[in-house]
Amino acid sequence: MSVTGGEDEKSYGAVTVREDGCLLVRVRSPLPTSARPHLLLQLRPKKGKPEEISRSLALEPAGRDQWQAVVEAAPPLEEGRWDAYVVGAPGEDRVPLLPGPRDVRTLVSGGEGAPAMPLAVRIPYATKDGRLAVRAWRRAAHAEAGRIVVAGDSVTVAARLFGARLGDGAAVSLKRRGRGGAETQFPLRAGKEQDFSFTVDYTDLRPAVAETPVIWDVYVSPDTDAPRVRVARLLDDIADRKQVFVYPSTTLDGVSARPYFTVDNDLAVEVAPLRPR
Amino acid sequence: MRISFLIHNVYGIGGTITTTFNLARALADRHDVEIISVLRSRERPSMVLDPRVRLRHLVDLRHEKDDPRHRTPAKIFPSSEYRYGEYSALTDERIGQALASLDADVVVGTRPGLNIHLALQAPARTVRVGQEHLTLDHHPPRLRNALRRAYPRLDAITPVTEADTAVYRRKMRLPGVRLQALPNSVPAPALAPSDGRGRIVVAAGRLARMKRFDVLIEAFAPVAAAHPDWTLRIYGRGEERERLRALIDRLGLYNNVFLMGAVTPMEAEWVKGAIGAVTSDYEPFGMTIVEAMRCGLPVVSTDCTYGPGEIITDGEDGRLVPVGNREALSGALLELVGNDELRRRMAHNALDNSRRYGPALIMAQAERLFEDLLAARRDGRAVAGKDRALASSGYAAKDTVLVAASSVVRAARKARG
Repeated sequence: MSVTGGEDEKSYGAVTVREDGCLLVRVRSPLPTSARPHLLLQLRPKKGKPEEISRSLALEPAGRDQWQAVVEAAPPLEEGRWDAYVVGAPGEDRVPLLPGPRDVRTLVSGGEGAPAMPLAVRIPYATKDGRLAVRAWRRAAHAEAGRIVVAGDSVTVAARLFGARLGDGAAVSLKRRGRGGAETQFPLRAGKEQDFSFTVDYTDLRPAVAETPVIWDVYVSPDTDAPRVRVARLLDDIADRKQVFVYPSTTLDGVSARPYFTVDNDLAVEVAPLRPR
Repeated sequence: MRISFLIHNVYGIGGTITTTFNLARALADRHDVEIISVLRSRERPSMVLDPRVRLRHLVDLRHEKDDPRHRTPAKIFPSSEYRYGEYSALTDERIGQALASLDADVVVGTRPGLNIHLALQAPARTVRVGQEHLTLDHHPPRLRNALRRAYPRLDAITPVTEADTAVYRRKMRLPGVRLQALPNSVPAPALAPSDGRGRIVVAAGRLARMKRFDVLIEAFAPVAAAHPDWTLRIYGRGEERERLRALIDRLGLYNNVFLMGAVTPMEAEWVKGAIGAVTSDYEPFGMTIVEAMRCGLPVVSTDCTYGPGEIITDGEDGRLVPVGNREALSGALLELVGNDELRRRMAHNALDNSRRYGPALIMAQAERLFEDLLAARRDGRAVAGKDRALASSGYAAKDTVLVAASSVVRAARKARG
């Protein structure tokens, strides 16, 4: 019945996000000192699709059972969730890394000044099933959502545009999720430099008659010709914002509407039938 | 020394588990240490245990929870103990066997019910130390009387604060039993301390009534109004979540106050912060205060029973404010938020002053206590083990009256029901 408590055969990965954006990954793994292990970052494929994109980096020895590698800022990681593994030797099975401390304090303030474009954001995090992963975003242009204020039957969002310029005909568009979904435009107010804000009147989102909730994804069209840019909140230390940045619901006309951040930290508005009490 | 810890269930989470693992690890440098977990509910403990510390369990809930003996109420574990429902004839039996066959110089109990097992069943040669992780006054009168009967058979009782130790001295008659505070320990963080440049106030704990996060959120409203770039992050889960969520919405603080969910360990979260906050009504020790200070945060805390006042030196390395006083809490937060120099100075002092809770220092106190008690045993100096007259102080009488009164109420309810 007796077990030795700390006989810990598992491998852990601790990550520090440095000021220059590099990730310093320190692996603790009970490998022989002669090992030439690699850190494997595997992009999680869409459901039912095979794994295709990965990065492999040699781990340098850094003390007993300790190894480390630096994931440089360039080339950027493709957008998605990258699961972290250690591979003891070429051809050996990969071993998932358990999450060690993630020192991401350099990300908290969103960095000083404007981020380099195209945008490349990487946040190490612990997955729901207790593994180490890196959340990555890569966007040619980006609209960072700031303060969101819910008042009356509307929501007002302050945002800042990167990688594009606001010009004639700039507008915010909400696209109803799903194939061939309707699109509704809202005017935006340009502020100083790249700042802008917009107000979405919920009554313009044609309250759902359907039984199921309707999701409206939020974009900004910088001018009449430019490709539209997703409004999201990516410039801090929070990999999964959905359950943390939560905004009040507004009840109108048999439906409830609320702004929220998706599992990808993109901004959306949900219009849902009122749940029967 | 051979030292055994007897603990409820290391497969859960909680401050007692953390501090026991820390102490066991530090003692293992020079001693033979084992942890006996009465219950086992999972494959692995929630925290990594030093490989030099042996761990065993007595009842494996994964296979034995339907054992008929586990469905029979416990007789030795006291019915007035908080965890009584999780104990049984089976735990009585297994704990009894484990203690009878214990090959240790010192056995340490980590909660009242287990301390009673130690008092009644540990081998005569073994030094018996009962830890108190709550406070005497917090216990129901019936439990206090059960402790009064059993605790004279212990060699020592170690509350986590000096204040509670004084209460034990005043309210329990325990001749020959050493009463000595033994604080919880917190290891040095693996990460560099906070640089204090962040604009986040950090709080952590179960989202439970007693933690009064509602008061913290209300107190943060004036801070957010005066300093919109400052945020409050509250880490933890619990039954108050929805109420707190509604409060944040009602006060329109959803751009500044965030319920972050549970995160363990908290280290990487503390270091993002600039100030720690504790608003509890009751905090026997206050582990999160020490954790935050060790990460370089000055902590604003209520001066509640009993931990915060012994950890924080008001105005030097943090602030103490009266329990439940929203204005005082707001004032203390505003003062620190608005004064970078004051915050820096207090952060520096917090780092220095919290070093006294390092496991090596706390371990040395425990080691010295255990050695003294062992020496006293060898020299035949008065220690516990013999039957003693029932405590007869006024407090014992008062508790007896309280117990009687509550059973009258119960009987009356039953008669009515």
